[in-house]
This record gives sequence, structure tokens and C-alpha cells, in this order.
Amino acid sequence: MKKSRIFALCFLIVCLFSTAVLSADEVKLTIWGRDIPDDSADHAYVHALINGFQAKYPDVKIDYIALGDPGLADKTKITMATGSGLPDIFQTWGGSVMGGYADAGMLFDLTNELKGIPCSDAARQAMTWKGKIYGVAPFFAVAGIFVNEGIFKANNLKVPATIEEFDKVCDALKAKGIQPFACGEKDKWPALALYMYLTNRYGGDASAKAAARQIPYDSDAFVKAAQLYQSWIKKGYFGATPLGEGYGDAQQLMATGKAAMHITGSWMCAQYANSEFTDQTIGFYAFPAFKSGGVGTVNDIMGQTDIGFAATKVAASKKDAVVKFLKYAMSTEACEAEPGRICSVPGVKAKSSLTAQAAAVFATAKTVTFWWDQDLPPSVTSPLNDMLQTFFLPGADVKKSLSSFEALCVENIGPVKK
Amino acid sequence: MEIVEGETSCAGKKKHKKKDRNRSVFIFFCILPAILFLVIFLYYPIEETFRLSLTKTTGLSKEVFVGTDNYQRLFHDEEFFAGLKHVFSWAFWSIVIQLPLSFFIAFSLTYYSNRFTRPLQAVFFLPNVLPSAITAMLGKFVFAPNYGLIVSLGKVLGWKWLASIDFLGNPNLAFWAIFAIATWAYSGFYVIYLMSRIEQIPRELREAAELDGASMWSYARRIVLPELNYPLRILAVLCTVGSLKLFDLPNMMTTGGPGNATVTLGITLYRHGFINWNYGKAAAIGVVIFVLSLVFTILQFSLGRKKDEAI
Repeated sequence: MKKSRIFALCFLIVCLFSTAVLSADEVKLTIWGRDIPDDSADHAYVHALINGFQAKYPDVKIDYIALGDPGLADKTKITMATGSGLPDIFQTWGGSVMGGYADAGMLFDLTNELKGIPCSDAARQAMTWKGKIYGVAPFFAVAGIFVNEGIFKANNLKVPATIEEFDKVCDALKAKGIQPFACGEKDKWPALALYMYLTNRYGGDASAKAAARQIPYDSDAFVKAAQLYQSWIKKGYFGATPLGEGYGDAQQLMATGKAAMHITGSWMCAQYANSEFTDQTIGFYAFPAFKSGGVGTVNDIMGQTDIGFAATKVAASKKDAVVKFLKYAMSTEACEAEPGRICSVPGVKAKSSLTAQAAAVFATAKTVTFWWDQDLPPSVTSPLNDMLQTFFLPGADVKKSLSSFEALCVENIGPVKK
Repeated sequence: MEIVEGETSCAGKKKHKKKDRNRSVFIFFCILPAILFLVIFLYYPIEETFRLSLTKTTGLSKEVFVGTDNYQRLFHDEEFFAGLKHVFSWAFWSIVIQLPLSFFIAFSLTYYSNRFTRPLQAVFFLPNVLPSAITAMLGKFVFAPNYGLIVSLGKVLGWKWLASIDFLGNPNLAFWAIFAIATWAYSGFYVIYLMSRIEQIPRELREAAELDGASMWSYARRIVLPELNYPLRILAVLCTVGSLKLFDLPNMMTTGGPGNATVTLGITLYRHGFINWNYGKAAAIGVVIFVLSLVFTILQFSLGRKKDEAI
């Protein structure tokens, strides 16, 4: 009896010791992401990333928490503000939001570890703040025109090659009872891509100058772009109820052939190429320039990170595991699972012709302007999208809206430097 | 003998005192968790909100004391005034529409109480137990353009005017669309509360009124309504305080848009704090909501005191 007790005690000690040794070897990474890593096509990359990494590195335990949208943004913001409960890695689009966290000393500088990873310049730039690299952007999104080629072909129409051609094409589509553009302005941000393009085509780098406070946001290019936008709204090119429709509604209008064009990000490639989502033939085109009188060119592209990850300061003690994860996120093995997004990693082929078209547009980019609502200081990004929605209100004075926004920028970013 | 008695009473007093002290200590430890909970989760956040409202901070940056600057800025903030206007409009129309409607339903259900009307109580109360997210989704399903219930009905009936209405996208209609859904969702509570009070009215009063030839309308107006005077006033105060904190339905159905057509103080606070990273200004709005709520809560208590005095 006594011997068996001693044996049991020894066995317990050995078990506890071996568990302690194993636990000491295992590193746990807490990762906050947007999407659930399930089997759906939209989440294919995240699914492959988490499962693939776990299989390849069993000594690193991944605790992946999907927080959705805006849950991820809200929770990240609050934990960054309090400084406690931070994850090791979080999903981000980079830009000024990530920069704000970096300025507050909440992020982990991985410049030396990540600078050698092959990727597009735009993707690297998006995850860089004040010369330091804080993460990786395996996928990059660009804005362009999704065109229902079937509708255009059936109505003998050509995709506008200049901005001047839009009126003629849109009038013809309207005459046939087809809504020219899908938008979904109830959600506010969907109007931004077109406004960014129009501003660029009128004023070139006007947005960069305004952000640097060299010109105001109610200067010529911004006003002209807003006026053209408003004239298209008044002509009914965005349908009769753009403010009542959300982004999901806009997708449905395209998917069912009720709208002919959708100016939005390339993240929609997977869905618009999916025969289960739509039976329409949809193509992706670069946004054109003015035939005459404009400054911006067709090679000036709007876009930003589609999927990106950055490391926080708490990851410093797990540097090796964090770098392994970020490198794996940029591996062809993980990226090849993605069916629709444009990959920043060289050598990863597009899964659909639509993604290939979007990637081709991205390849022609001479300049890439990041989304204003991600790149400007957070104090003005929400008012920016609110202002865009006012363009759609009947009788709105766009010049006044822009002047109000400029006043807010003066208050939050600073006055225009003379 | 007397000395012994005195000694006994002195010892007894001491024993009592000790017992009282032990009892007080016991009570103190019993309520300590509740006190700690209140201090940590209620009073401390209130104090922090007041303090933050006097600072300028993004949450990540250092807090800079700016005095009443955030409050002064609120006076020039169109969105804040739109939010203030909407919450008071909401409160006003809740009192004018939701309460009379709830009274009408509650009175009808109790006046005509039978085995068919009893299940209706549950039907009217059901929307009240639905999570706001579900209510908002249903609201969108009813009022959405293109595929919404009302628009689809308009299409089926061939009424183009109905099929073309953009309830959530029209600045003049969006507020009312949300209000309609809120009326459906929130009235159930008022109905059940009023029913419980109507059922407390002695049955003899109704029988006497009927014997005197009083119509249903007279009974409602001259007996039931005066009896519900106090509960209706309490509900009116609850409506107003609830309106000040309104956030979920407008945020989920229209995110405060189009423009500022459905923005509320809660949405303005959320935008300034969580989207614009302006925690100082958000805290100032929180203080305004707190003060207004406090005023109406005091009003509620004073109403209660008056009623108690009357009794």
C-alpha cells in the first residue's frame, strides 16, 4: 500500500514536470482578426493562414479571435488607449490609424525582420509609419470600375474611356431602365472611391497637398469633383434611392444585373467572379481620366491594404514566433488559398480572370493614393464620410459642405501653410 | 443587591453594545461588495467622464487640460444640436403617440378580457424582448428600398408612389421610419405595465359605472385615466430618459443619416469617442446626457413623493 502511494506520487511529479517543460517550450500568440476562419470562400485566406501555420509550427499556439467589423476597430482602439489586454498581432489596414498606435508606442518595430520580405512597394508603404515597418500586407485593394459587360454588350455600349463619356453611357443605360451606378451610400464610405478619383482627375495630387495643409479642402479640385458628383446624382445615375441602400444592396444590384457599374475596391472580385453569387459577366476596369482639362491620369490609382497584420509591443517577448507568423502570412502557401483579392506577394497567381484584371490595373499604377478615410487623422475621417453623404441630399450645397470640412481640418490638423 | 443589579445591567449594556457592534460589522461586510461594485463600476466612471470632459485627448495621446473648451465647442457643433433636437422630438412624440396607443391597447385588452384576448398580451410584449439588432434588421426589412416589405407591397398593388418611397434614405422620413419600428418594439412594455395598473382598479367601480349607464369611453375617461395619472407620468419620464440615451435603433438602421437626419446624442458621443478619437468631446456629451437624465430622474422622484404625500 505504501509502495503504491510512493509510486503514484512519483508518477504525479513526473507528469507535472513534463507538462511544465512542454508549456515552457510552447509559445502562445493572441491574434485579433476581422473574419472567422471558416470554410466560406470569403474567409479562405484566414482559414488557410491559421490552420496552415498551426500545422507547420505546432510549438506556437495560435489564439485567433475574430471580432468582425467594426468590433475589431473598436476593441483595438480601446485596448490601445488603455494599454492593457493587447493582442500580440492584430489585423489592420495600416495608414494613419496604425500610425496613431505607433506614435503612442503601442507597436513593435520589426523593420529589420520584415524589410527583406518580397512584396509590392504600395503594400510595404501601407504598413510603414515614419520609416519603421510594423507589419505585413499580404493583400492590397485598388478601386476601379466593376462593369457588367453583358449589359454593355447587349446595349452596344463601350466602357467609358474618358470621364466625359460617362454622361452619354449613363443616359443610354437609364433610357433602358438600367441603373448606371450601384453605390450603397447609406453606409457613407462607399461614395469615397469615386470622389477620390474625380478629385485626382481634376487636381492631380490635390489630396496629398490638402493633407499636408498646402491647399484647403474647399479648393478648386475638390469643389469641381463634388459638383460633378452631385450632377450625376441629380441625373439619377445612382438610382432613385442611393441613401436608402447599403453596400450590400449595391452588391445585389450588380449581382442581379439591375446596375451596370460599381466603383469600389477590388475586394469584390471574389464575389463578382463567383457563379453562385451572380450570373452576370463582370469585368474590372481602371477609372478613366478627362479627355481634356484634367491633371490626374489613368495611372493614378486609389487603394490600400486589403488584409494586413501588425505586431504590438507585447509581442516583443515572442519576437521569433511573431516574425514566423508574419512571414507565413506573406508566404505563397497561405496566399494561394485566397480566391479574389490582389496579392502583394510576387509569384502568387490570381485565381479568377476578374482578379487578374484588377491586378493588371494595379500593375499600371504610377501613384497609389491611400483611402482618405484610413490615411487622414481619425479626428476627420468620420466627418469626411458624413460630408460625402451630404452630396446625395436634395438641395445640398457641396461648396458649403467642403468648407465645413475644411474648418474641421483646420481645427484638427492645422491651418493651410502659406 | 442593588449593586449587583447595577453591575448586571452594566454588563448587559456592554454585551448589547458588543452585539450591536458585531451586527454593524456584519452588515458592513454584507453591503461591502455592493458598495465596491457601485464605486468601481458607477461612481468612478462618472467621475472619470467629468474629468475627461475637461481634457483634450485621443485616448492614446497625453491628456491636456482644456477647461470648458469641449463644452463650448458643443455649442458650435451642428451634429450635437441635431442629436439634441432629435432626442427631445423622440421624447415628445413617444409621449404623444406611444403612450396613448399603449393605453388604448392596454385598456382594450383588459376591458374585453377573455380567452382570445389573453394571448394578445404576449403578442404585444414579444417585440420588447427581441434584441435591438433583430428589431433593427426587421426595421430595415420593412422599410428598405427595392426589396423592403412596404415597397414590395406597393409593387404588388401597382402603387408606384408607394413602391418609390425611400423611407430610410429620405431625410424627412427616416426619423419616422425608425420611430414606427420603435413604437412597435417598445410599446409592449408600456402595455403590460398599464394593464397591470388597470387590473388593480376595483371591479366594483366598473360595475357601478355600468349600472349608472356609463359607456366604455366614459368609464375609460372618468375612472381609468384618473387612476392611471401617476403611472402615465412615470412612463412619460421613462420615455424622456430613454430617449436621451437612444442609440441602438438609429445607429443600426441608418447610422444617424442621411446627413444628420436621425443622429442622436448617443450616436454623436460614439462618433466623437470611438471613430474620431476625440474622447474629451465625447465625455462632454456624456456629461450632458448624464445631467439631463439626472434632471428627469429627480423629476421622476419628485412625482413619486407628491403621490406618496397624496396617499
